[in-house]
Amino acid sequence: MLPTIEIGPLVIPSAGLVYILGIWLALTAAEKAAARLELNVAATYGVAVTTLATGFIAARLAFVALHWNAYQQNLLGIVWPLTSGYSLPAGLLFGIAGGFFYGRAKQLPAARTLDALAPSLITLLMTVSLADFLAGPGYGLRADLPWSIDLFGVRRHPVQLYELLGGFLALAGWWLARRSPQPFPGRLFLVSTTIYGSTRLVTDAFRANAWLSTDGYHLLQIISLLAVLLSLLLLAYLSPPSVAEQ
Amino acid sequence: MPKSRFTWILLFLGVLLLGSAWILESREPADSTAEAAGVAEAPAVGYLAPDFTLTTLNGQTFTLSEQRGRPVVVNFWATWCPPCRAEIPHFQDASVKYNGQVAIIGVDDGETIAKVAPFANEMGITYPLPVDENSIVSSRYHVNSLPSTFFIDSEGVIQKIHIGLINQAVLEDQIEQLLAN
Repeated sequence: MLPTIEIGPLVIPSAGLVYILGIWLALTAAEKAAARLELNVAATYGVAVTTLATGFIAARLAFVALHWNAYQQNLLGIVWPLTSGYSLPAGLLFGIAGGFFYGRAKQLPAARTLDALAPSLITLLMTVSLADFLAGPGYGLRADLPWSIDLFGVRRHPVQLYELLGGFLALAGWWLARRSPQPFPGRLFLVSTTIYGSTRLVTDAFRANAWLSTDGYHLLQIISLLAVLLSLLLLAYLSPPSVAEQ
Repeated sequence: MPKSRFTWILLFLGVLLLGSAWILESREPADSTAEAAGVAEAPAVGYLAPDFTLTTLNGQTFTLSEQRGRPVVVNFWATWCPPCRAEIPHFQDASVKYNGQVAIIGVDDGETIAKVAPFANEMGITYPLPVDENSIVSSRYHVNSLPSTFFIDSEGVIQKIHIGLINQAVLEDQIEQLLAN
């Protein structure tokens, strides 16, 4: 849609701008959520920063390690350019681990910290969707609907916009759930996961270049369903029984 | 917002049933390439790469569609572009390493053969360099920034677009992905 933004003589990749803005919003969300949940704001912000920084560095170093033959001939390439060359699995693994150990070192309560970080996580996922919409490879199935978008003469589902809508629903769910007393820590995180996972379960069906299994199943749908079911199981297990159940 | 255990259990069963049914309903048909095969040419991932014909430095004609059957890497560049000059050795090395497997071409944007030829000799470039003197092909590919590199699979479908300087590791990683697919 809009891979670059031209400002005079400058041509700026839109995805890069979106990621910078999205990371700033995600970190701000962590601060605000921690304050509202009466957690240690600085420590919670530190978990978010540590997770992002550790994940970013690990993703880069893992890619470098996997392609060392190329990088050893050009060591400067390890630090520039940074627009590509990352290992997502390594980034996720080490990022989560980094945030976990930082939180432990600061003696943060794990479940309540997840509650505070849920809006950040959703914001980051929405950032990915927006960057994909503007400059990424994703596009929706053909559809002639009033809200379809025109991509090179073909009308399609604006699937990334559906994902953004799902993110807003999840944030709204977090906000509404927060307003009532929490029967157990971690409830807000599970509610957010349930809502966002459910929307991705639905919307991925409209993606034309979805991640598929060899049998044609949408793998992201399966992952989303499993995440939602796990969240619902935990919500059921941790929720107090009703008076009738007692 | 449900508060009792029973309500959450009901939701769990409902999501399990409806979610599973939706996943089955969303399953792609066996011929899942039909979507890409029927799409028009467009300078975007998942679309057929716009076809073009240009003249190379040695006077030969290069036509993109004639490369069907093997992946193609199309790098848009110019002699005045510093990052373009920096990444040329990577493309040269890749053209040697993947000779016969992948076609690597460097489309010069907006310059003449007389301008490009001495530069190519100086840099030792041996892969084809079609010259897009009037920037017609660059416009069709919506090239707003140099360098820009398009990774095209053996069916002519664009799999990846890289805007800006590309290092050797990323270039080879993308080529390996083209070959794997």
